[in-house]
Amino acid sequence: MKTKKHLLDILWIVIIAVAATTLMMILCKASPLEAYQMFFNGIFGNLSSFCEVFVKATPLILTGLGCAVAFRTGFFNIGAEGQFYVGAIAAAMVALNLTGVPGPARIVLSMLAGFICGGVWALIAAIFKAKFGISEIIVTIMLNYIAINFLGIAVRTFLMDPEGTVPQSARIESSSALGLLMPPTRLNAGIIIAVAAVIIVWILMEKTKVGYEIKVVGFNKRAAKCNGISVMKNIVVSAFLSGGLAGLAGVIEVIGIQKKLLEGISSDCGYTAVLIALIASNNPIGVLIAAVGFAAMQVGANSMQRQMGIPSAIVNILIGLVVLLILGRKIFRLSFFRKKAKN
Amino acid sequence: MLEQIFTITFFTAFFSATVRMAVPLAYAALGEVFLERAGILNIGMEGVMLGGAFFSFAGAFYSNNLFIGLICGMLGGCVVSLIHGFLCIKLSQNQSVSGIALNIFMLGVTSFGYRLMSEGQSYQQIEPFATIKIPLLGDIPLIGDALFNQDILTYCVYVLIVIAIVFYKKTAAGLAFSSIGEHPASADAAGISVYKYQWIAIIVNGILGGIGGAVLVLVQTGKFSENMVSGRGYIALAAVILGRYTPLGSFGAALVFGGANALQIRLQALGVPLPTQALAMLPYIVTLIALLGSIGRSNEPESLSKPYVRGSR
Amino acid sequence: MGILEMKHISKAFSGVYANEDIDLSVNKGEIHALLGENGAGKTTLMNILFGIYSADGGEIVWKGRPVHFSSPKDAIAEGIGMVHQHFSLVNRMSVLDNVILGLKSGKLFLDRKAAKQKLIDLAQKYGLDVDPDARINTLSVGQQQRVEILKALYRNVELLILDEPTGVLTPSETEHFFDVLRTLKKEGYAVIIITHRMSEIMSISDRVTILRDGKKVKDLVTAKTNPEELSYFMIGRQLGGGYEDRKPAGKDNALVLKDVTIKKSRKTPQLDHIDLEVRKGEILGIAGVDGNGQKELAEVIAGIRKPTSGTLEFMGGDITSDKVKARFKKGISYISDDRHADGLVLDMSLADNMILRQYDEYPYSKAGFFNKRWIKDLSMDAIKDYRIKTSGKSTSDTIVKLMSGGNQQKIILAREITDKANLIIANQPTRGLDIGATEFVRKALMEQRNLGKSVLLISADLEEIMQLSDRVAVMFSGKIMGILEHDDITLQKLGLLMGGIAKEEEQP
Repeated sequence: MKTKKHLLDILWIVIIAVAATTLMMILCKASPLEAYQMFFNGIFGNLSSFCEVFVKATPLILTGLGCAVAFRTGFFNIGAEGQFYVGAIAAAMVALNLTGVPGPARIVLSMLAGFICGGVWALIAAIFKAKFGISEIIVTIMLNYIAINFLGIAVRTFLMDPEGTVPQSARIESSSALGLLMPPTRLNAGIIIAVAAVIIVWILMEKTKVGYEIKVVGFNKRAAKCNGISVMKNIVVSAFLSGGLAGLAGVIEVIGIQKKLLEGISSDCGYTAVLIALIASNNPIGVLIAAVGFAAMQVGANSMQRQMGIPSAIVNILIGLVVLLILGRKIFRLSFFRKKAKN
Repeated sequence: MLEQIFTITFFTAFFSATVRMAVPLAYAALGEVFLERAGILNIGMEGVMLGGAFFSFAGAFYSNNLFIGLICGMLGGCVVSLIHGFLCIKLSQNQSVSGIALNIFMLGVTSFGYRLMSEGQSYQQIEPFATIKIPLLGDIPLIGDALFNQDILTYCVYVLIVIAIVFYKKTAAGLAFSSIGEHPASADAAGISVYKYQWIAIIVNGILGGIGGAVLVLVQTGKFSENMVSGRGYIALAAVILGRYTPLGSFGAALVFGGANALQIRLQALGVPLPTQALAMLPYIVTLIALLGSIGRSNEPESLSKPYVRGSR
Repeated sequence: MGILEMKHISKAFSGVYANEDIDLSVNKGEIHALLGENGAGKTTLMNILFGIYSADGGEIVWKGRPVHFSSPKDAIAEGIGMVHQHFSLVNRMSVLDNVILGLKSGKLFLDRKAAKQKLIDLAQKYGLDVDPDARINTLSVGQQQRVEILKALYRNVELLILDEPTGVLTPSETEHFFDVLRTLKKEGYAVIIITHRMSEIMSISDRVTILRDGKKVKDLVTAKTNPEELSYFMIGRQLGGGYEDRKPAGKDNALVLKDVTIKKSRKTPQLDHIDLEVRKGEILGIAGVDGNGQKELAEVIAGIRKPTSGTLEFMGGDITSDKVKARFKKGISYISDDRHADGLVLDMSLADNMILRQYDEYPYSKAGFFNKRWIKDLSMDAIKDYRIKTSGKSTSDTIVKLMSGGNQQKIILAREITDKANLIIANQPTRGLDIGATEFVRKALMEQRNLGKSVLLISADLEEIMQLSDRVAVMFSGKIMGILEHDDITLQKLGLLMGGIAKEEEQP
């Protein structure tokens, strides 16, 4: 009964989303059929663009996973953006400064540094919340802007490329950058790390007592307290994990794709991550699917934009719309809709 | 370098830029104060402002009339807020999720809309509102130019702030609106229809946020560009906290944020070697410190972002 | 003819009568008490009068004409005010603003000056002195109550309903409060006071209406009755004999509470110097009207709350500083009265709920990883032993939210009643269960008793207390009013203790 209702909701959402996409194509005076063809062609047309899906999915998987872990305890971390930046800065510092350390070790070190720094960045908000009862929402937003500006300072001062004039860091030497998996595509080892993170988080959440405690705290704080599970400790743990994962996303962007630190490096994935976690109902496997799906839509939409001039902004419209529809799914059950469904 | 900074000309220009930067924030923050005092958090302010910016541009561009543009901007902002209201008041959904979804949704909608509009013509421009200098006041040294040689929407915000202060301090409706965010069940018991007032607050939020976005177009640039609000909606949220949820306070906070931004641009223009991001970062740190300072005596409405469901305790 | 006549009022919630054919008549210048046990229908009746619920049948005549209130707003407009147990005040607004909140003056601006004068006059007249400019959250509970009454008086009510008004007051505040009520009475106000405190009824009311099981049992004139008669009508039934298959209770103490107090600043103590012993092999019943400190007592023993002062000993060792988990390991189990909030995680499966206490212990987890097989065995045993009905094939994976109340309670029983549980705190263990499930729970507790374990049974259901307990302690206002041996229990004694009147020889 319940699952049937659920499936019906999903059906409605898909129908509306497809209808909206088609409408937008028509608004652009493009033939929907051709546009869809271009869309899928963009994704599956050649190896390079197919691999691009996974390149784009990598940061989304990690930040989405981070959000999901935090949301599980009811810690509404919308600071993945800032944690991403802090992780990126840490990675760049390690990769550029520890020149004495051999390449592979430096990669591990930069990932560790990024994870810890991202985690600590989220921890600030968690402590504000757990200790002082200050809403994490505003704190994480503030921390986002502080991190973004801090990156701005970094690429103009201590991390600036001494030989360049543009605000960005020097290039990271290839020995301490993540290797490409299938040159000439941009696919790199980052996707392996992201998928591994999904599996680890899934095991952690489903198979261990750490995940169990986090789940109990997320579902029912009062029951946690009555059974001796510390609410504060678990909020702090999940916030650290969450920030760490977002930080790791920043690391991979720096040492895997850009090979240097520069402004605007996150392309706003920290906010999209919130929506991805929500669509996946905070399930790690769901995050993987939703992130890859969203990345595929981005790649497909980019191809539509290039070939037919349909703005790729429709991807943002769609993900926003889908989340709004999930929130508003009750309207499908209002009598007006039900009557229509019956006829 | 220092003598370049400590000049009348520099400060006059700096104050002027501060007010310019602050006005969009002031509108949005005032709208957000109004809504948050009624218990609803709208993180979607960024989306509301984007709606205001885009639709005011479209309206003004097609009608060739700035006032029609302004009305379109207000309506555009309003629609976004109304969606938020529907999800949060009617369906009691998570206000933060709804807000973020609206931001991304509106980023898409406005970018898409603008691409449709600008097809073929790559550069569209409208003639923005002219500045009207107020006699005498406008001649006050240093601040006269900043405060009284501005456009009509800047003057409007002064009036609105005063109205809002009086509204909260002196009227029964103001009292009612504040009580809803604090303890909706008490307000309900006192015969105030909580939902009706929240809907009104949603509409006001949309209109003011919409104007905030419209100012960027109709006053400051005369054109639209993708993602042109670029985080101002989030900054407005911070201004509300820094301003302790009061109209005057949020206006002051908007000036602080505007000033930091203006100073950054001024110093950059002078070629000051210090990275100006340090300056841009300051207001956010100040907000965090203000939050810490308010522990135990926070001004945040007690029921902020908790959906009110009648009959449940 | 009274100022208020409620005639044949009936109200059912999902088929069960909360009020059935109730009559109530209140006069001007009268303080009218409404007495009854939990669930007797007092609050429902008043909520109908105040427009919160609408009655299924019957009629309300107010000042000689039939009325129908569809919201509290209507009731207030007609001159009926109500002060709830939980105050409807906005914490961070001033007293004055709270009083004038929601009033329409027809003017553009508020006239705070005039309002303040009117408020000060009212306050002086009735001895309700309170600073109009003080913020609510700086006031004591007693002062807040005064604001609530002032709010009603400011709106020109003629009838004031007070729901358990003295529960939150200190004795001296209560005295002052009664003075206020007497002044109101003199001025011609009608007052309805909902209470279970006999002494208060005797000292303040003119007439009493007693409700039981949703019906009116008796109207009495206070001057012509006594606490014994009141308690007889309130409980009014022969209590059953109970389980006679009892092994003799032990003599040794399992649990000893010494001088345990929980007190938050500026509030009346939730637990007031409690001394209590629970013996091995006995069921100690805790009777009392809800909200007299029973939940706090249960939680202080389970380790969820810390006492402000006093010590707890369990099986000969001090456990005062032990946390929840340590106490469970030592054998203290807890069946909470609120299974949805405290006892279960409704969104998780039966198996996940079964390990809520021992998830971090061998064999259910090892080095942090769960052992699914052990957890499954544990859950399947529970399903079998406690005859828990799960949905179809999911068995131990059934989400608890989808199960019935009785089956949910059985999960808690299965989890809490372990071999090592030496003391079972059972707070309202059968509330909201059907007859079959109720019987099951009672038998399970009895069985544990006969195995030599201790049970602390907290219940507002006197029948249950009488049936199961070896001894009964009665709580009132955070204190133990007295302890009765099984054979010594009479309705009158229980009723008096529950109403706050200690045994005669103990009275000062």
